[in-house]
Amino acid sequence: MSKKHIFPILLAICAALYPVLSDDRYIMNILIMILLYATIASGWNILGGYGGQLSLGHALFFGLGAYTSTLLYLNFGLSPWVGMIIAVIVCIIAGMLIGIPTFKLRGPYFTLGTIAFAEVIRHVTLYWRDLTNGSMGLNIKYEPSFAAMIFKEYEYYYWLILGLLVLTTLLVHWIDRNKMGYYLKAIREDEDAAETLGINTSKYKMLAMMISTGITGLAGVFYAQFNLFFEPESVFHMNISTEIALIAIIGGAGTVYGPILGAFIIIPLNEILRASFPDIHGMNYFVYGILLIVIVILTPNGLLPIITKWWDKIFRKKVSKTKGVTKYDLESQ
Amino acid sequence: MILKVNNVSKHFQGVKAVNGTSFHVEEKEIVGVIGPNGAGKTTLFNLISGSLPVTSGTIEFKGETITNQKAYILCKKGIGRTYQVVKPFGTISVLENVMVGAFNKHNSRDQAAKISKEILKQVGLYEKRDQIGNSLTLADKKRLEVAKALATQPALLLLDEVMAGLNPSEVKEILPLILQLRDEGITIVIIEHLMEVVMTICDRIVVVHHGEKIAEGTPKEIANHPEVIKAYLGDEVSYA
Amino acid sequence: MMILQTLISGILLGGIYALISMGLNMILGVVRIINFAHGEFLMIAMYLSYIFYAWGGMDPYVSAIFIVIILFVLGLITQKGLIEPILDKPASTKIFATLGLSIVLQNLALMIFDANYLSVTTPYQSSVVNLLGIAISVPRLVSFGVVIAIVILLYLFLQKTMVGRAIRAVSMQRQAAYLVGVNVKRIYLLAFGIGTALVGLAGSMLMPIYSVYPTLGASFVLIAFVVVVLGGMGNMFGAFYGGLMIGVIESLAGVIFSPGLKEVIYFIIFILVLLIKPTGIFSKGKGSEAVGL
Repeated sequence: MSKKHIFPILLAICAALYPVLSDDRYIMNILIMILLYATIASGWNILGGYGGQLSLGHALFFGLGAYTSTLLYLNFGLSPWVGMIIAVIVCIIAGMLIGIPTFKLRGPYFTLGTIAFAEVIRHVTLYWRDLTNGSMGLNIKYEPSFAAMIFKEYEYYYWLILGLLVLTTLLVHWIDRNKMGYYLKAIREDEDAAETLGINTSKYKMLAMMISTGITGLAGVFYAQFNLFFEPESVFHMNISTEIALIAIIGGAGTVYGPILGAFIIIPLNEILRASFPDIHGMNYFVYGILLIVIVILTPNGLLPIITKWWDKIFRKKVSKTKGVTKYDLESQ
Repeated sequence: MILKVNNVSKHFQGVKAVNGTSFHVEEKEIVGVIGPNGAGKTTLFNLISGSLPVTSGTIEFKGETITNQKAYILCKKGIGRTYQVVKPFGTISVLENVMVGAFNKHNSRDQAAKISKEILKQVGLYEKRDQIGNSLTLADKKRLEVAKALATQPALLLLDEVMAGLNPSEVKEILPLILQLRDEGITIVIIEHLMEVVMTICDRIVVVHHGEKIAEGTPKEIANHPEVIKAYLGDEVSYA
Repeated sequence: MMILQTLISGILLGGIYALISMGLNMILGVVRIINFAHGEFLMIAMYLSYIFYAWGGMDPYVSAIFIVIILFVLGLITQKGLIEPILDKPASTKIFATLGLSIVLQNLALMIFDANYLSVTTPYQSSVVNLLGIAISVPRLVSFGVVIAIVILLYLFLQKTMVGRAIRAVSMQRQAAYLVGVNVKRIYLLAFGIGTALVGLAGSMLMPIYSVYPTLGASFVLIAFVVVVLGGMGNMFGAFYGGLMIGVIESLAGVIFSPGLKEVIYFIIFILVLLIKPTGIFSKGKGSEAVGL
């Protein structure tokens, strides 16, 4: 294990210890939302950041995960722990089915295709009241028990989602350091060139899609169990899809830790803005929109690369000044 | 015989870009493909490398029919190519660009990096390995094209105008590299406009015009071939 | 008779969709930007129309002239101030810049007008003409007439004028157009302006029929995306037919299945088109779906 890994590991340990130190429910709630969005954005990042397939339909899988496990729980009493596995499988299959037509499309057309699929599912969910309860949404009865994945204490939710995030990050880390990461980046940059270098681009895009949608579905199950109530608009809406992509992009798409950084910026920013302008309806989102435009224009590759650069400037003066050093060299030190 | 192109045609909505062309390439040969602009040279490469499906005809590689197989499969089988219009992976480093190619034959990252560094030294890009692809000059991007294709460890390398747009001293640097590759056992088919280059390094030359092969032979034979002179003087004088 | 009635109201409704989508398609085809704020420009046009009506007593059809000009200028400002600086940036920047703009405009409207539904009252609002026993709403008929006129004008402009040809050249072959001396940036500016002017006109035509509220744009922009894909990118008249098609589908679906399913149906048609002919039903161009951002 190299020096470079110590920082994230320490951070994860500190994060895990946090609930022991404080039990402020408001802060805990925000932290859980940050970790949740960091997980989903990390999942999106595999397809959108590494693979360059800018999906704006990931809410579909978030909602699909939530509905799958919850409907199984409500109708058949199936424990969400089992429902979780089924939800992931359902989301992976849905991802494959959606990938087949949409991967034929490139650039903005792919993005539009993903939006369309998410919209279909949102409207079907609204319409199919017998199964989904339509716009009334689904309510899970508050009966705390481990089997039902319903906890009285926030800590358990916190640890659960932290664990999910750590696992997701390890997976992204593995992809980043292996053939798959390189292949996805090559696909992002130029699909034809990638193909002539021996990359089965359809296979790798599909793999990225499946991993990405599986993680998003898992996060959806967690959301359902944490909130105990959701409706089509709160899980399937396009705003969720754009928020997921935005978090990854602002943090740094195509980097391991970028989406986590993005979640720690965007979720609190939303909270702060909401608290800052309680009187004027819309003011918070107005400011949010302006900040968003400014940030994406000033830092098209996200904030993480900039922070890394500063870090290198301060702590690695001797190396970076003369020649610079590749990412690869740094890691193998 | 490593490559055999049999009566291959490619028609785009009535336009016969390649029309009934046949030629073959022996192992460790350097074969030049020349012809005026729009003669169908790049299309021919696209057909051999699997980037485009043929309209008719067959292509054999190492005795196996490979017609219309996908580009990535052909790369695995040992056909590497460069693009005339360079396609660097723009936002990742030069080293990572080449590593993508190296993963064709190696699954380990360390192995891929090691091979890529050697190749970068060979093509003279080692010092620039940390720069991102887009930041290179055109000459260096052409080198990168070659490096990426080499990293896939091809048996047959298709070079599409790797010298176009380079100045004479840059051309002089790249020529020995091509000869060296042949010495390492790689068979090379090269599309080139610079006659001087083709004449010096090629063992044989295939001349195409309007999608058809009009002549084939040693550089000396080609230089004196009446059809070739006619084709070139008729369309464009790129001789001088 | 019922079906015929539905068909006609669908075509009339589709005219408005066509107008919105032609604007979006102009921007997508020429500037190669998905303008997620396109629906918000529609919303702005309708609020302007409301303001002209409420404060100046001006009929929406009269104020349309001013609104088209204002929206054209807004388009120029957007292109110059927001899009031009990011033309070389990654696709994600372009998507989120216009998404950000849509959030800003939506909430600006919310701050100014609150979430109320605003509408205008005109003498002809509920007028109906009877054609062979089929009742046709006058404002819808007027808006459809305007759409036809605009389609013809736009066709003449793109085919017959130098500027129009330059716009088409840029949308087909950006690089080549640049090489033959077309000022590509200027064309982008113009295309964006025309795109927003078209949606401005659509807003004016919609005002006598619909109410305006801050999030109105979101639903219309999704329809416009569907229409553009159906018609084929860069194919201005494909967007016209696509718009009519979606209008008819929406009306028929409402009658045959259920109004709640109309979105599902046209999104499914959209997906089928993607599967079968990704370049759009009405497109002639090959590989236009491959044109990246």
